[in-house]
Amino acid sequence: MMAAMARAATTSDVFNAIAEPQRRDILVLLRAGERPVTELARELEMAQPRASKHLRVLREVGLVRDRKAGKQRRYRLAADGLRPVHEWTGGFERFWDESFDRLDAYVQDLKQARQEE
Amino acid sequence: MSATRRGAPVQSATADREIVISRVIDAPRELVFEAFTEVQHLSRWWGPEGFSTTTQSFEFRVGGEWDFVMHGPDGTDYTEWICWTEIAPPERIALLHGESRGDPNAFESVLTFERDGAATRIEMRTVFRTKELRDDAVEKYHAIEGGQQTLSNLAAYLAEIVAKGAER
Repeated sequence: MMAAMARAATTSDVFNAIAEPQRRDILVLLRAGERPVTELARELEMAQPRASKHLRVLREVGLVRDRKAGKQRRYRLAADGLRPVHEWTGGFERFWDESFDRLDAYVQDLKQARQEE
Repeated sequence: MSATRRGAPVQSATADREIVISRVIDAPRELVFEAFTEVQHLSRWWGPEGFSTTTQSFEFRVGGEWDFVMHGPDGTDYTEWICWTEIAPPERIALLHGESRGDPNAFESVLTFERDGAATRIEMRTVFRTKELRDDAVEKYHAIEGGQQTLSNLAAYLAEIVAKGAER
């Protein structure tokens, strides 16, 4: 996730997609493997249209993939879609963000020291 | 729920292989710039909290190099190499960043320092040659930070978040 890239529309953003607890529940269920929407809805005790709506959001942000298997549509986890979250929680950007925190503190000390001179 | 992309940013040609980080620091531009020019300054802030550096050599000039070892809080050492390719005080510094001289995966970062009232806005734009090198850098720095999370562990990580959320 790049700092310069403002978040786009809500549903096209993986962060917004996983902010919804029921959608996270769906992702956790999909860790065990491919599932049809009927099973997901039953396990999560939600109406099927609601589960379908969540799955559509998750698919749009690349967190689940689907395929047709007979009459059913089966959904599976696409962990690679979590890359923006992965990057946000660590990695190059956080390294530099934290370095800049220290730079800020250091420059404030430097500024103070120069003023006292 | 609408899937329309309102105000979606126009992506530059390099968007998928660059990382941009910016910060406003409440200090004059000359002072912020200075913190990038001397090793006694750099060694005080380079790296996240808990990191320190040991410098082998340091020469701040175009074509000059900074050879150093970065020590992680878990005791792991990382050899680092910086070579400055452009220095324009107090506005701009471009540098190559790798693990050692001639590192084929070295990447270029351009730091710009802009006045923002009495403060200074720093922007660091790093463009990797390929998207894969960008992703590699993200992975590497993940490891450096001790996160040790690889993409394959993400599902487990996600489950932890959910579990923590449920405890609340």
